[in-house]
Amino acid sequence: MMELNLFRLAAVFYTAGTAFAFVYLYAREDKWSRWMRWCLYAGAAAHVASFGFRLQAFWAIPENRFFLPINSFFGALSFLALATAVVFVIVEGRHQLGILGAFVLPWALAASWGAVWRASQMGNTEIHGLVPALQSYWINIHPAVLMVSYCIFGNAFGVGLALLIQERQVKSKRPSELCYRLPAIEDLDSLNYRLIAFGFPILTVGIIMGGIWAYGAWGRFWGWDAKETWALITALVYAAYLHMRIVAGWRGRKAVYMSMFGFTCVVFTFIGVNFLSELHGYLSNR
Amino acid sequence: MAQSLRIFRSVKFNVGLVLAIVAASAIGTFLPQLSETPEKVDLFLHGNPFWGKIFQALGFFDIYHTKWFMGMLGLIAFDIVVCKLWKLPPDNGLTALPPEFDPKAIEAKLDTMEAAIRQKGMVAEFSCRAAPAEAMSAVKRMIVGSGYHLEPVVGDAEERSALVATRHRVQRWGSYVAHVALVVILAGGLIKAAFGFVEMVPVLEGRSRELQNKRGWEVFVDKFTVKYYDGTRNPKLFSSQIRVTENGKQLAEKLITVNDPLDVSGTRFYQASWGAGGMFREVILEVGEGKFLPIPQRKPTLIPGTPIKVTADVMMPNFTLTPDGRADTASLDLKNPAVRFRFDVGGKLTRSLWLLQFNPTVAFSETQDGVLVHAPDPPMKLADVEPILFSGIQVAYDPGYPLVAAGSIAWLLGTVLLFYMHRRRLWVLINPAEGGSRVLIGAWSSRGDVGFKKEFGAYVDRLKAGIGPAGSSSGPGAAFAGNLEAQS
Repeated sequence: MMELNLFRLAAVFYTAGTAFAFVYLYAREDKWSRWMRWCLYAGAAAHVASFGFRLQAFWAIPENRFFLPINSFFGALSFLALATAVVFVIVEGRHQLGILGAFVLPWALAASWGAVWRASQMGNTEIHGLVPALQSYWINIHPAVLMVSYCIFGNAFGVGLALLIQERQVKSKRPSELCYRLPAIEDLDSLNYRLIAFGFPILTVGIIMGGIWAYGAWGRFWGWDAKETWALITALVYAAYLHMRIVAGWRGRKAVYMSMFGFTCVVFTFIGVNFLSELHGYLSNR
Repeated sequence: MAQSLRIFRSVKFNVGLVLAIVAASAIGTFLPQLSETPEKVDLFLHGNPFWGKIFQALGFFDIYHTKWFMGMLGLIAFDIVVCKLWKLPPDNGLTALPPEFDPKAIEAKLDTMEAAIRQKGMVAEFSCRAAPAEAMSAVKRMIVGSGYHLEPVVGDAEERSALVATRHRVQRWGSYVAHVALVVILAGGLIKAAFGFVEMVPVLEGRSRELQNKRGWEVFVDKFTVKYYDGTRNPKLFSSQIRVTENGKQLAEKLITVNDPLDVSGTRFYQASWGAGGMFREVILEVGEGKFLPIPQRKPTLIPGTPIKVTADVMMPNFTLTPDGRADTASLDLKNPAVRFRFDVGGKLTRSLWLLQFNPTVAFSETQDGVLVHAPDPPMKLADVEPILFSGIQVAYDPGYPLVAAGSIAWLLGTVLLFYMHRRRLWVLINPAEGGSRVLIGAWSSRGDVGFKKEFGAYVDRLKAGIGPAGSSSGPGAAFAGNLEAQS
């Protein structure tokens, strides 16, 4: 119960942080950005504390000991929310781009409230004994690495959205205040590319780790399972984006559309495919 | 030859090819596949005869093994080889310098270089009091001290001279290593498809099965164990004590669990699944308050104190009813075991009754034509079932795996080089000027422009501090402004 209460508190802080991010979008004062940041810190702290309680309960089952509790939908959404917030704090800290909070933090918000909804549906936070296939150290690496890449792509999606808005503003005869608040199109384009170029190797390495795990568990590196296939599709779409940007020189809107298509594949891979996959149906309780 | 290969080197063609692979791969996830769920393919064909025929003709029900899909994968591998061979050796990151013995060529090159430097995204220019030779020495010291690889200085040190330097030159191999890794991984997959196999072998505990893909090989399951989490039917462990023989001679034995297979000369035996096929050793029937009767499968057993004999003959591990009201099993998991009991008196069948282990209040009478009718208040209970389980052993031989593993490591290395290392170049041109020298510096970074802009500004400031700015140049920190900054 303590775990869920702390998690709800984290979700409330993320909500407040997102609200401040939207206020900062239109208000000039930097204090809103600072408030956003403090809310994120507080949310992350509550989230980590909640995760600590989750770990304690999860590890009380001997078969689960030393494995990460991210095998359930609640666990995965919780991990995604935390990782999205942390990745944004790092990006924002490096580039002083608090203005992008309004475009990125809704993903952390959706993941955290999605987890709260899931817990209310299931009546608990889904702490169960791991099925034998998941009792492997790979569960600490393969899904975690993939979800970190999803968070990076989520941040890139937010940056791409900001780029599209900024481009519209720049072309507009009457640009709003937003035009002066958002970074230049070139900077957003560069950041979008750099985030994807950073996340792409992580995504592909995560997929390869899954293949190595599958070889150890079932004797085949690749099986064209729906989840595997959609992870590959996601990687191929981002590879196409990287080639078009690096080799063919795509910039701006065209490149962003392609990267957004990649993120659509990420979302489908994470949620939609659970209802198609025989092997990776853990999130849909199959 | 060059012309005919041009299309295969086109990035747009190859991105189109990748997107075609993406589309085909996606189709395969929405349609049932013969290799995974052949029964669902049949259902689809019956439910959608028009589209079913079209999809079948296109190979959509086994899409990942169709010739055209394999052809696309082969073509992308071919294109990668063509693209990368074409560009070998990779750009070494340095502007080619002219032979030093040809002064005219040097002059021409230095002129070209000056124009080229001014085209760079990051440029700084300043005057200093130091003579050209002294300025060049200072530049070299600073650049080498910053970890750059230095090319020989070109030109007359006393007059006009230039140098080119790079850092993280190995980054230029990242793209090659990553792309070649993909080809290696695909080659590994091809070898597996040609020479490997995967075979699912369900073996009842205490029995054995011959392998279809390995003549003379037989796998014995001496003991199969399954343990559940307390109070649930969720397994926490399942394992098999297995032996593998070849023409009767034992090759190996091991207790295999999920994620811990037995390896026999490259052929691996995995604990993949388990289930109940309907056989059981005995069931325990509660025939009265505290009266339990063990009944072996298909062995008529007299109920004590009565003339009735009972036979337990069929078990459904996950009992369900078909739409026409017959007994069936939803899966081979022991989630809802039910057993059919036949009662007879003097050899005459009096009743067939289905009892459910986990739902003792639910029972069904079976009519002569096999239809089940709800039977309220069953007179007895199915207390326990001791099923004979089968162990699902997946046998796999994958001679391509070492290549796939090597390709995966190479991919990791290549992408890290390509995306996480920032190759940087500096071009420095020093011209003699009144009262000293004039230094022109251009810079380029493969990635991380924002960080490198700060770094470049710091280089320029350090240089200016080191060789003493002339009166006409601006102070430290103002030398760089992102683009061309000419200070005359």
